[in-house]
Amino acid sequence: MKPHRTIARAVRGLGVAGALALTAALAPGLVDAQTRGGHVIFAQGSNPPSLDGMVTSSQASRNITMNMYETLFGFSEAIVPIPILAEGYTVSDDGMTYVIPLRKGVMFHNGKEMTARDVKASLERYRRVGATANLLSPVREIEITGEYEVTFHMVAPAPTFIESFASPRAPAVIIPEDDADADPGKTSLVGTGPFKFVDYVPDSHVTLERFDGYSQDGRHDGPDGFGGRKTAWIDRVTFRVITEAGARVAALEAGEVHILEAIPMPAARRLASSPDITLFENMPWAFSVFILNAAAPPTDNLKVREAIQVGMNMEEVMAISSEGLYQLNHRWQYPGTTYDPGEIGAEYYNLGDIDRAKALLREAGYNGEEFVLLTDSNIPQHNKAAVVIAEQLKAMGINARINMVDWPTALNLRLQDSGWNGWTLQMGIEPYLGPVAVTATLASPARPHFVVPDPTLDALYQALISGPTVEARQATFRKIQQRLYEIFGIVKLGDSGIMAAARSNVKGYTAFRFPRMHDIWLEG
Amino acid sequence: MIRFLLARLLSAVPVLFVVSVVTFGLMWLVPGDISAELGGTDATAADLEAIRQRLGLDRPLWERALAWYGALLQGDLGYSYLLNRPVAEAVFERLPVTLSLAGLSLLLATVMGVLLGILAAVRHNTWVDRGATVVALIGLSTPDFWFGIVLIILFGVWLGWLPTGGFVPLSEDPVGWARSMVLPAFTLALTQMGVIARMTRSSMLDVLGQDYVRTARAKGMRRGTVIFRHALRNAMIPIVTVVGVITGVLLSGAVVIEQVYSLPGVGRLIIGAIQRRDFPVVQGGLLVTACVFVFVNIVVDLLYGWFDPRVRDAR
Repeated sequence: MKPHRTIARAVRGLGVAGALALTAALAPGLVDAQTRGGHVIFAQGSNPPSLDGMVTSSQASRNITMNMYETLFGFSEAIVPIPILAEGYTVSDDGMTYVIPLRKGVMFHNGKEMTARDVKASLERYRRVGATANLLSPVREIEITGEYEVTFHMVAPAPTFIESFASPRAPAVIIPEDDADADPGKTSLVGTGPFKFVDYVPDSHVTLERFDGYSQDGRHDGPDGFGGRKTAWIDRVTFRVITEAGARVAALEAGEVHILEAIPMPAARRLASSPDITLFENMPWAFSVFILNAAAPPTDNLKVREAIQVGMNMEEVMAISSEGLYQLNHRWQYPGTTYDPGEIGAEYYNLGDIDRAKALLREAGYNGEEFVLLTDSNIPQHNKAAVVIAEQLKAMGINARINMVDWPTALNLRLQDSGWNGWTLQMGIEPYLGPVAVTATLASPARPHFVVPDPTLDALYQALISGPTVEARQATFRKIQQRLYEIFGIVKLGDSGIMAAARSNVKGYTAFRFPRMHDIWLEG
Repeated sequence: MIRFLLARLLSAVPVLFVVSVVTFGLMWLVPGDISAELGGTDATAADLEAIRQRLGLDRPLWERALAWYGALLQGDLGYSYLLNRPVAEAVFERLPVTLSLAGLSLLLATVMGVLLGILAAVRHNTWVDRGATVVALIGLSTPDFWFGIVLIILFGVWLGWLPTGGFVPLSEDPVGWARSMVLPAFTLALTQMGVIARMTRSSMLDVLGQDYVRTARAKGMRRGTVIFRHALRNAMIPIVTVVGVITGVLLSGAVVIEQVYSLPGVGRLIIGAIQRRDFPVVQGGLLVTACVFVFVNIVVDLLYGWFDPRVRDAR
């Protein structure tokens, strides 16, 4: 058994990335001393479906739970897995055993110390009720091999296991053993995070308060992504649920709320010069995509799908659907990240070539069949994109009709093989998690978003998850990028961002995948 | 009186039964269910089926209906899939918010509407009448969600006098409660004030032209006494009827106002439950709301008797 090199590289890499992140995070601290105390109010648009951290993949829950709970591993600011409650890990030469020593002296909010028994019990519960329980499907057995050590025995070698396991989507949080048998949503809401639960009034607010017994991770100088050395300065934080966007902005302007999860871009532009408000651009935040149904006519025809790809003007769609906060990007990864596939597919992107689209439609024998564009009324980016796309399809000569329904209905309809041809979607967490998460939605064994499995893509996905090195996986992902621009089952529209906003007396806040309430403080 | 009350309560049973059948039927006709919400965007058909089985949503409709009515007869409104708690608990916890809002709005709308209507009737065909009519029309035609946002910006952001939203329980802080309810209640009251003002004006005009009012004036009775003791009391029957109807409108209108002002009331609970297909909450919430509406109508019937002894005697 030898220490795994990836983690060592990650920690070394953090020296640079972490220092940069830390400098950014603490930059105000260089001139402002941190102040302990105060009550910060954060506003978000929807209720958390649950505060049981492992049972939901909702962003509204994650905003809160990631301040209450912690995981064994998580992503750093540079999106590299780092140990949080784990000390690290070693993997056997055959890749079948992961030994994970745990940090000692980590306390739960109930005053008990975290041990291997809690970790095993939490992960066994995750297998039963975790919203992404398949994270642990490569693990055959979890064995307690010491008071502060667990060992994972694998079903088969899984080179990308730690990257997947570190996923914050529905995080595999560590909770006390006492909660191990609790049904979903029935735990005591006790974690190891820097804030502990106080109360939850649905449709109103969730209150947390500083956990004075919090065990800081001394291996870092400051916070880093989901981990690092976290310091809770504020006494109390309230997450208020304000559904109406205008009311959220008004509450921020009136000083009743300190931080907004997302501010509409027109309001952001209006407040950009206000000395009382600071804006935080979170770009890129999500992929905007247009999924085509390869099972239903006319989009079962490859030439029709290609026509749509070359005929679309992505810039027009992105500018309107994101209210101007976007970047054009043909890649199925964010530019500059580890798996950035470069220029593959760029020749098909943002062409707006109506003549070529019409020629391809003629070649496909398209004869005015109806194209049903499925979208929902709940998520503005979805329905705004649909309106622009429908106009572009009509310009190509496609008989497009929008079917706007509410979100649960849209999720239901897109599972049908027929009745829809295109579906607008924001992919938020998958691109952040990397190529495996993105490809998993497009390849078997899951039902691909574009309905009809593509054997070549399926084989590439298997090669991706079993690729032994980063270089091997990068090469595979370039082939996946190529394949996606051959089958045209999904159209990449671009990358969209979100704009957060805070009162200027909130110091230390930085844009991230969840609002980190640690390492922020109030001035004045 | 007791017989009358019992008869009215009994007549409410079929009404509530019809409400329950309609809400149950409608919710199960709507496409999609909570499995989509719980499963998320990357759930497969098999994942969703597994969730449905776990929640019992794969059972035949009649079986689910029997289970629901069986529990209802024992006073059990069901269990929320999403809130993870009994529906009755969730609804009754929020009822005070909605009732506070609807009650205060009703009070404001009635007081302002009746006064405005009296003023318009007493100063019939003058600029006061026309002004009162214009004010009532503005109230009637202003969308409440827009008016709510305008009030938030004016009193919450610019002047900073009142909170922009949120709810403070009366038991925690009466002043905070009053401050949190002023803008929502006024917003909700504005539209209905117009309805009451117009009804009061027309009802008062009828009464003011009658002989007994002229006689009272001729006897030298004070103007205020004539208007408020004699004329208004006789004009109240149609006004009370309208107020009864408006109570239902206020309860449903509270849904929008609760959204705008972030009030955790029953309306917002039901809207959230509809959006996520949390059927037991929708069914239970609507049934409780219907009960409140039925109760208000019984109170209105009782008020008829109080205002008009002829009605009381006929019972």
